[in-house]
Amino acid sequence: MDSADDAGPNSVFPSSVQPDQQNPSVSERIDDRLKRVSLVDTDALPGDAPPPAPHAIDVDSHAGVNGVLDARSGSEGNDKREEDGGEAPGDVLLPQLVGAEHAFEVTRSSSDAGLRDNFEIEVEEPSSPSSSGYAGERGSSNATTSTGIEEVGEDEIVEADAADSSVWTPGKRHVDEDDGSISWRKRKKHFFVLSHSGKPIYSRYGDEHRLAGFSATLQAIISFVQNGGDRVNFVRAGNHQVVFLVKGPIYLVCISCTEEPYEALKGQLELLYGQMLLILTRSVNRCFERNPKFDMTPLLGGTDAVFSSLIHSFSWNPATFLHAYTCLPLAYPTRQAAGAILQDVADSGVLFAILMCRHKVISLVGAQKSSLHPDDMLLLANFVLSSESFRTSESFSPICLPRYNPMAFLYAYVHYLDVDTYLVLLTTSSDSFYHLKDCRIRIETVLLKSNVLSEVQKSVLDGGLHVDDLPVDSSTSGSLSPHLGQDRSIPGSPDRSLSGIGGPGGLWHFIYRSIYLDQYVSSDFSSPINSPKQQKRLYRAYQKLYASMHSRETGPYKTQFRRDENSVLLCWITQDFELYAAFDPLADKALAIKICNRVCQWVRDIENEIFLLGASPFSW
Amino acid sequence: MGCSSSLPDRNTGRLGASLEDSASADSKNLRAKLVLLGDSGVGKSCIVLRFVRGQFDPTSKVTVGASFLSQTIALQDSTTVKFEIWDTAGQERYAALAPLYYRGAAVAVVVYDITVPESFNKAQYWVKELQKHGSPGIVMALVGNKADLHESRKVSVQDGVDYAEKNGMFFIETSAKTADNINQLFEEIAKRLPRTS
Repeated sequence: MDSADDAGPNSVFPSSVQPDQQNPSVSERIDDRLKRVSLVDTDALPGDAPPPAPHAIDVDSHAGVNGVLDARSGSEGNDKREEDGGEAPGDVLLPQLVGAEHAFEVTRSSSDAGLRDNFEIEVEEPSSPSSSGYAGERGSSNATTSTGIEEVGEDEIVEADAADSSVWTPGKRHVDEDDGSISWRKRKKHFFVLSHSGKPIYSRYGDEHRLAGFSATLQAIISFVQNGGDRVNFVRAGNHQVVFLVKGPIYLVCISCTEEPYEALKGQLELLYGQMLLILTRSVNRCFERNPKFDMTPLLGGTDAVFSSLIHSFSWNPATFLHAYTCLPLAYPTRQAAGAILQDVADSGVLFAILMCRHKVISLVGAQKSSLHPDDMLLLANFVLSSESFRTSESFSPICLPRYNPMAFLYAYVHYLDVDTYLVLLTTSSDSFYHLKDCRIRIETVLLKSNVLSEVQKSVLDGGLHVDDLPVDSSTSGSLSPHLGQDRSIPGSPDRSLSGIGGPGGLWHFIYRSIYLDQYVSSDFSSPINSPKQQKRLYRAYQKLYASMHSRETGPYKTQFRRDENSVLLCWITQDFELYAAFDPLADKALAIKICNRVCQWVRDIENEIFLLGASPFSW
Repeated sequence: MGCSSSLPDRNTGRLGASLEDSASADSKNLRAKLVLLGDSGVGKSCIVLRFVRGQFDPTSKVTVGASFLSQTIALQDSTTVKFEIWDTAGQERYAALAPLYYRGAAVAVVVYDITVPESFNKAQYWVKELQKHGSPGIVMALVGNKADLHESRKVSVQDGVDYAEKNGMFFIETSAKTADNINQLFEEIAKRLPRTS
């Protein structure tokens, strides 16, 4: 059924979707490009990419520091070279990225020597190039297994747990380690927070106090560059990337060999800083003004679980890089009922009323002119979910929403209505606990009466969108599109016979982000993306795709099609939405494009159920 | 301490109007606002959960801000006392927030861990703070928790008794783990509440 007809401009980018509808030639060009690129695919061999330079320091700015190499001379340079090389003048998209990404993924099993340094991602095999700490790594590709110690997976324990119960328990691990421990040096992804005087504040692994010497080293690197009137953004050493973020007197550092893009890691450090502000506000800076050697660790006592849970979410929660939130699928009237009672209490002096189920929003309402940033929601949900004490009883606690106001505390009333569902009421007044408690009682009564809570539980059991449920006949969409949790049993239609495992056309998974709603919907993982490891790999691939689509240096792009050994990834960005889709690696390109259009149509057909519509406008 | 400047002012920190003053309601059915204070990890939440729900959870769950629970007990003289309990977080960053919870409290329970001398020092800090800023006539109890760990005891019973006596407090050692003396603690407090009639 895949044919040139199907891939024709009109069916690929129906005018209702096409933001450039005034300019149909663009869609033709897009389609053209995609077709042309398909011819290139097979030629884009991994071996084309040169080995990365072992060390590269990127220094932000004008004031060029002598002896500093170009930012992009590492493996990211490969991407860029590919992109630049294939760019046709005046074109908006760059599908030639196909080859570049290929280079990363394929090395997993190929033995291409030139790329061995790039290789790791999820792999915990003894083939990683070097085994000592960061300093010793010279990116030499024949240093394999010299000590016989393997890289320790960053979420090793998590994955072991996940295999058993798919439950991840937050909390600090490996506290007995320090920078002298081999196991500590082998961890794939470290996060550090330190003060400008070099005092440790937080470390993902190991005890902070035992890492004082290491913190001092990081501080020395940062201040050395600062003294030259400049700022260090990242250092590349072998296959490790060291990313720095300076926030006044607080320094954040990530050391990673996960090949995540610099932009992604920097975004993660920003969130880590935001989580710290949520607990302490930015007024903690004053402590450093009074005493530069101030020790901040006691102020963060008992919050290890909050940070470890946030860091864990960097490898599974798309909200961490999409900067959007996601809703629990619910029938429109059910969500309306929840929104109405929340609006009721918001009118009585509550700043924000948020009803959530785990990480998903059921409904939320803000007082007039108040808007909640998706990052704040992410940090708030992470804080609530990772602090076990909220589950035992109703609580009242100061909380800062860094995007709302990083200097001031709000007061949060938190109460779990059932095991997954919780209500957060935020106010500016420290003495309104009893008022918020009364609000909660009213809300709970209404939610019980209108069956919202039982609908929520039903939705949790039913799960979210499934790629198998994608309506296959586009002519019926709108009238016959399946509702959530229904029609699962309908046997496959003709199209499905074309697909491998997964949904129609080899579709495995997708994420759709609505730009003006600041919400996204992600399909549930299903066969063949079953294991946590595969899910994490896909997640990382999306993250990389996101970074390259939004890159300031090379982007922004409108579409991107990448094929590698693991999957086909397709990304499409318009003024209204961003779509990220993963397909079987053998998926046909024209069919994949067609399927993406169907996904968009499907999402629009059921937007009432998967998005929170008509929420107070978000403005920032 | 830390970021106290951004925390609520002592004078404005007052939780709600519905708990006008300390103990209230009629003479047969008393209502009392109770606040637990003490260093982190001494077992404040465990004491409360043992008292309110009869449960003990050995996994430590750090309290955030403060948790609110209530429990009613009946005394032998057929009066009932409803405790509205503020179980505060022991973490340093919340110390500046304490007035928000202890202001207007009829009862303060100051807890330490008999195996950790520093927590006994912290308890004394809280007692002084309450003497300065607490409600006049507040009933104060000094509680040495984790009494089941007597083999690692670092704070003697006598030290607790002496300090409590000097400061006009009621003293008891408890174990939230074994439930030892937990109900006695709250019954004793209930008996000491001023009766308004």
